[in-house]
Amino acid sequence: MDQFLGLTLTGVMNGCLYALVAASIVLVYKATHVVSLAHGQLMTVIALFFWYCLVPWSLPLWLALPLMIIVAVVIGLMVNGFAMRPMIGQSSFSAFLVTFGIFIAISGFVQMNLKGVSKGLPTFLPSWSVELADVHLSSVHLFSFAVTIIIFLGLAILFKFTTIGLGMRGTSENHQLAQSTGIGVDRIFAFIWILSTIVSAVAGISLAIIMDIQYELPFLGIKGLIVALFGGLESLLGAVIAGVLLGLLETFAAGYLDPFVGGGLKDVAAYIALLILLWVKPYGLFGLVKIERI
Amino acid sequence: MWRPCGVFDETYSSDMSIVRTKFHWICLIVSLLFVMIFPLFDNYYLLSLFNKMAIMTIVAMGLQILSGMCGQISFGQAAFMSVGAYTSCILTNIGLSFWIVMPIAGIVSGLIGLLGGTSALRVKGFYLAIATLALHFVIIWLTMHLEITGSTEGLHMDPPTFFGILIDTEPQKFYVIISVLALMTYGARNLVRTRVGRVFVAIRDNDLAAQVMGINLFYYKLLAFFIACFYAGIGGSLWVLWLNLAHPDQFGLMDNVYYLGMIIIGGLGSIPGVFFGVVFIVLLDEILMLVAPPLSTLFPSLGMEVSANLSLSIFGIAIVLFLIYEPRGLYRTWNVIKNSLRVYPFTY
Repeated sequence: MDQFLGLTLTGVMNGCLYALVAASIVLVYKATHVVSLAHGQLMTVIALFFWYCLVPWSLPLWLALPLMIIVAVVIGLMVNGFAMRPMIGQSSFSAFLVTFGIFIAISGFVQMNLKGVSKGLPTFLPSWSVELADVHLSSVHLFSFAVTIIIFLGLAILFKFTTIGLGMRGTSENHQLAQSTGIGVDRIFAFIWILSTIVSAVAGISLAIIMDIQYELPFLGIKGLIVALFGGLESLLGAVIAGVLLGLLETFAAGYLDPFVGGGLKDVAAYIALLILLWVKPYGLFGLVKIERI
Repeated sequence: MWRPCGVFDETYSSDMSIVRTKFHWICLIVSLLFVMIFPLFDNYYLLSLFNKMAIMTIVAMGLQILSGMCGQISFGQAAFMSVGAYTSCILTNIGLSFWIVMPIAGIVSGLIGLLGGTSALRVKGFYLAIATLALHFVIIWLTMHLEITGSTEGLHMDPPTFFGILIDTEPQKFYVIISVLALMTYGARNLVRTRVGRVFVAIRDNDLAAQVMGINLFYYKLLAFFIACFYAGIGGSLWVLWLNLAHPDQFGLMDNVYYLGMIIIGGLGSIPGVFFGVVFIVLLDEILMLVAPPLSTLFPSLGMEVSANLSLSIFGIAIVLFLIYEPRGLYRTWNVIKNSLRVYPFTY
């Protein structure tokens, strides 16, 4: 029973981190109808910059955080300006391939900086932990849990109640139609890439505290994409639910099934789940079912 | 069908043939002769580079049929290649001849690929891309954990014999690989012109419209997956012929990325484009390999693996640039250059 409770808690906490990564992807999709592979690398780059600020340059935290946000904005603008703006009005599939190109381009840069060594962020959060059913829940986990909830609430409000949110949903429907009804599609692209880069920066730093900045970190972006697909690409709520579900699934698979299959099931449980889900519900748990016309 | 000024197709058969003009025939024969005498120079480095490129071309050609022609993007090509590689290792180790095993490996890999095809029936676009990516992770995970595939140590295959000749030197492998490549290219080039090829293009352009016109989507999407994975399986089989070894590390996520990048850079939807893409990527790697050592002595902070990382970055940027400025790839650039040379003093 204790094991069950412990696994559940770890699963939920991990799931929240996945949801945070998925949030940045869902955000871009909801606003611009582009599925982004690039966010895994974006978050790694910004976490790497944050590490450079804190460790080699030893800047104080109050300076490093705003600097990190500024860099996130600049990177978001650069990605948007160089790569995504020309894709306005193109098929969303070529835009997907462009983000895939960005993924590769940044991965070379990241590996050049990592040189095969994982880089641990210093603990800047207070180092208390809650003991609950034999599980240490560190402040990092609780912090990222809180941040996830705040960010999701903020995004939901943005999409539901603001004018620019409405514009985003229109843009997602059809770039050309949105442009001709007076929505500034290029402004929305710029805005959403800045916003999603900041969200992924938060996700990247939360993840980097837990698992260090290392070769595997960008591939959590792919896991975030899996979570986003699982929950349905249009749904922020779906991202949270899918994140928690997949987090639980992974920890349970690791806890209960691994002794029978010889380990490592944690890595593929999410992928198997996605394959099965796509057969049953092709648009994810809460995604909009598209009715196609010729 | 576009023809340059002054070239006439007088009969139906000359219109339909792949090698049409005398010049084409001369080019074909000269290039075949060149390929035949090439191993006599006995340059080990160049030969193994060519072998690698030829195998990559076969695998990328399968992906081109699936993604470029049929529009079903797949991130799983390296995994299907590993299926072919492992199948041929296992079957030759129990005593079958490699030459029988090679097509079997292709077919087994194709059948596994139908798994990916079944998800293509429900989802498309990036949903399918991610589904095949998931399939890739599952397959590679299985090869690393199953007993029969040698878990993390991989499998070894003894070099096969061909009518009593042991195929174990680089030139001998070169002849085998190049002849398979020629066969596969011929098959792919012809496929474009058959009913199946045209159906694939129709599905790519609008699958709903294709279905309305009476095309059986179920059958043709599965067929596209089968053909692509067949190519990947043959490529994997040649891969173990080349290295005598199948190992999970050889078929990583980045290899999928490379194959997809090759067909994007070469030009989605054209079979000759595959060659351009492969040559571009391999040349990029090789040139950076030459440039890297002086670079890393100039800037020691870049580290030892600067060439691999730099080539990764340039490769990514090239994909983005090609998608934005030349979505139809190097093959179209080549055609544009060719045509402007043909009418040289005048602008085209």
